[in-house]
Amino acid sequence: MNDNELITAVRESVADVYTVTPVAHVISRGRAVRARRRIPGVVGTLAMAAGTALAVTTLLPSGHPGLLASGHPGSHPASAQLVAWTVARQVNGDIDITINQLQDPVGLQSTLRADGLPVTVSFSGPPLSASCQPDDTGRDVLSGVAHFHTSDGSAYLVINPSALPSGTGVSIFDEPGAGAPLPSPHMPRHGQGSGSTPPAGITGPLAVGLVYASQQCTG
Amino acid sequence: MRWMGVGTQQLDFAEFYRSAADECLRAVLVSVGDQDTARELVDEAFARAWASWRTVSRHPAPKAWVVRTALNTGISRWRRRRREVPVPDPASLANPPAVSGASARLVDPRLMAAVMRLPARQRQVIALRLLLDLDTARTAEVLGIAPGTVMAHLGRAMAALRHDLAPELQQENRS
Repeated sequence: MNDNELITAVRESVADVYTVTPVAHVISRGRAVRARRRIPGVVGTLAMAAGTALAVTTLLPSGHPGLLASGHPGSHPASAQLVAWTVARQVNGDIDITINQLQDPVGLQSTLRADGLPVTVSFSGPPLSASCQPDDTGRDVLSGVAHFHTSDGSAYLVINPSALPSGTGVSIFDEPGAGAPLPSPHMPRHGQGSGSTPPAGITGPLAVGLVYASQQCTG
Repeated sequence: MRWMGVGTQQLDFAEFYRSAADECLRAVLVSVGDQDTARELVDEAFARAWASWRTVSRHPAPKAWVVRTALNTGISRWRRRRREVPVPDPASLANPPAVSGASARLVDPRLMAAVMRLPARQRQVIALRLLLDLDTARTAEVLGIAPGTVMAHLGRAMAALRHDLAPELQQENRS
């Protein structure tokens, strides 16, 4: 028996063994792993949020239109932090949004609109209300407006308002397929479809798109 | 309207899972010898891979990361159990059970028995080198040993398997 025959025999000895666990189950279990890891982080966030809220209360006059202070060019970046999400305006005009939990969409929407961003935010509801019409803008344009990534269970979104095409706004929403089984591998990949219905394959908990700006939709 | 989001990561991970899960399971099975245990460890390792997908997706050998994590998880569980139950007499482990449970129905029991008689480190080298097809350097990195040690373990493991299996195979060929 030479080496090749032996290697083949070893490989063939387990060749009939296959995984049976659905990937959705593995992902669900992975979310539990993330949640376990995030417990100390949440405690830290709460402590920091309390400190920041105190500072905002002290510095901002009563009746300020929003927790997100408008960042005048050259001014120090202002930020407002809550447990579920945080918003920070950078000196270059970009808006950094960190979403830790899909809660208080109205508060997030108000905060962003107060800073002049035409936006609609929906968590755990229909991605677009009847008053919103999706804008069929190319992916390149959207990529210029929003950068999106996740880490340790939080979503980080950077929006460049100056890159928004005229007459458009941003839609941030909880993807309704979250938690659903993943599509088959033959379904189109993300970014290949367009239209008011998110393309098959997007089943993540959070997504962003462009919509036509209107008073009813984006404020 | 174009969309992008966390779902992209989920699709990337799903693609990785579909392409790598069977290989990882077989590699872990060869290391631990029990199919139910191997499945449990691999499921846990993939769950952890998803939890750290940003890091794992950039790993030069994500399949090796999964197998290493599964094996480490197995060792951790064994250590916890060891505090709870008496450790068997090492002499009784000289001829450990070949393959238990449902594994016997899907694997070659004679070859698996021979593999399970190898020391644990040699089984790990077999798993990574032969089933995951990692090269010597990557195997050494994953196991935290020198490349020369990997080659030595592989050589000894192959010799032992050949010694164990050759007579039976020759007998099969004659008949």
